[in-house]
Amino acid sequence: MALLEVRDLKTHFRTPDGIVKAVDGVSFTLEAGETLGIVGESGSGKSVTALSIMRLNPQPPCYYPQGEILFEGRNLLEAGERELRDIRGNDIAMIFQDPMTSLNPVFTVGDQIMEAVRIHQKVSKKEAKDIAIQALRDVGIPNPERRVDEYPHQYSGGMRQRAMIAMALACNPKILIADEPTTALDVTIQAQILELMVELQEKYGTAIIMITHDLGVVAQLADKIMVMYGGRAVETGTTDDVFYDPLMPYTWSLLRSIPRLDKAGEVRLLPIRGQPPSLIFLPPGCNFNPRCPFAKDKCREVDPPLEEKRPGHRAACILSLQEIEESKHRVDEELGVEQ
Amino acid sequence: MSEYLLETRNLKMHFPIRAGVFKRTVGHVKAVDGVDLQVRRGETLGLVGESGCGKSTLARLILRLLEPTEGEVIFEGENILKYNRRQMMKVRRNMQIIFQDPYASLNPRMTVGNIIAEPLRTHRVTDDVKKRVQELLEMVGLSPEHYNRYPHEFSGGQRQRIGVARAIALRPKLIICDEPVSALDVSIQAQIVNLLEDLQDELGLTYIFIAHDLSVVKHISDRVAVMYLGKIAEIADRNTLYGRPRHPYTNSLLSAIPIPDPKLERERRRIVLEGDVPSPANPPSGCNFHTRCPRAREYCREHVPPLEPQEAKDHRAACFFPVTEGQKVEDRTSEVPYRATTAE
Repeated sequence: MALLEVRDLKTHFRTPDGIVKAVDGVSFTLEAGETLGIVGESGSGKSVTALSIMRLNPQPPCYYPQGEILFEGRNLLEAGERELRDIRGNDIAMIFQDPMTSLNPVFTVGDQIMEAVRIHQKVSKKEAKDIAIQALRDVGIPNPERRVDEYPHQYSGGMRQRAMIAMALACNPKILIADEPTTALDVTIQAQILELMVELQEKYGTAIIMITHDLGVVAQLADKIMVMYGGRAVETGTTDDVFYDPLMPYTWSLLRSIPRLDKAGEVRLLPIRGQPPSLIFLPPGCNFNPRCPFAKDKCREVDPPLEEKRPGHRAACILSLQEIEESKHRVDEELGVEQ
Repeated sequence: MSEYLLETRNLKMHFPIRAGVFKRTVGHVKAVDGVDLQVRRGETLGLVGESGCGKSTLARLILRLLEPTEGEVIFEGENILKYNRRQMMKVRRNMQIIFQDPYASLNPRMTVGNIIAEPLRTHRVTDDVKKRVQELLEMVGLSPEHYNRYPHEFSGGQRQRIGVARAIALRPKLIICDEPVSALDVSIQAQIVNLLEDLQDELGLTYIFIAHDLSVVKHISDRVAVMYLGKIAEIADRNTLYGRPRHPYTNSLLSAIPIPDPKLERERRRIVLEGDVPSPANPPSGCNFHTRCPRAREYCREHVPPLEPQEAKDHRAACFFPVTEGQKVEDRTSEVPYRATTAE
């Protein structure tokens, strides 16, 4: 049994303008100690997927018309508030993009870590404080004995994110969900935080769900990848499969459109035309068809399921493997791209 | 006519920190601290650095949106800091800026037509404004029918196109692009980068391209300057800077960027810098990078490194112990501080 299994999850929101299908059919599994990278642009449903696992989407306007989220066999979509409280922070913890808004400015960092510890473990204040100090030491905060009594504003951006990680890991969770944990940070600080996450994962065997729009970050960290577009999972596979043999035209186009540090800058970028779809008025057929360089007439009619195209490598595209390969060559020839 | 369209000489911006009841000045934030920069006609100069390193302040000083504490801004051979209002108005036609946030930089109460026409009207270009605006809309890949629409009807990428149309309306010589693609989705960034490149060819524009994304900067720039705590750490043509960086900061910055290629990532060796960027209100003594530098020695704590020429043409780095070819950043060889002048 997988540690976490999400089956055909749908998370919709009722709004005055219509129903927003933020997540509309997402399935994946996560094994213990593994890192899953969820990549996608803003509005693709990455964060809502994460919040659904934690059941943190406000209900209403959110509702779950379909799907299962199985954590160690228990369906979290059917769990009561009490059961969820036991799981949140204890078994599944989450860190967010902006560490300043996720820390409470009027409590010390130590108080906030101790709160998380004391909710889930029967320990005295003194013991909780020792756990908090140890957690801060673990994430590389200097002088944790003194720093534990400081307020969030006394920490720098990178240290706040370290404190958030300390808080998330204080209860030794089985899953850590990291929602764009380094997007607000500078690259040199990002490198520190990512290195720290890898270190802690090796030490504690935590499974990580890494949500990001940065393809470089998932290339560095993830064992496997789920690409999201317009509320759907459009491609899943091992990191190497997705990067070196993308089968969904969106992934393929996206990988080609980004400027890369390791490539010379002389070549022209190959952008994806158009813009991401509105989640209220999705295009008929495949969500990506208006922007897809491979689109055929049938793509406007058939909504493609996520199917296994190669062993362990799934893509939501109705074209056959052969048609996909042919289209790649055709587009390259039209654009005069050298292989 | 000088080879340079724009030069800055020892440009400084020290913002006072005021505290207490009487708002006494208790210190200064040295946002820009002595920058000498030359921008050639028709080139794209990339300006990179982490947040708070003074990139955006430098942009505002060049446009004279901020009055510098010290130094000169020389545009087409003349120090514009000596200009009065009327003279400044003339120069402004030739310098424009594109901002990061396409949501905050367009007035929501104005139609797209009026937004783009505003610089034309301000500079008293009155003939056939509507036709010119419609041409501009087409140039940036929008349609002339968008003239009467409002910004909220457009997506982020389209809004950035409106910002670009406004910037080129007066056919300026220099455009400062301040993080023009950072707020956009990954799949949209390439569209805007290509648009900027096309317009540069078409209109002979010179760009100063500010970004924290080193991959985008590498793609678009001819030369690149790296800033750290208000100073230029290193400047060179693109291939030299990315291929043979001398300054340990440039080296670590480049190694910190994740590359979207899993196999390369597994083999890569990262230089992870310790600690955070120090506060520009209280910068370290000597070389401002010494607190985080893996090569730093006693000497660096006491002396400020000048921006010294390196072997490659137009390559300058502000480091006493630059990383030479084939060396690792943490390798220490010479004990003698590098001086290009004495090396000759």
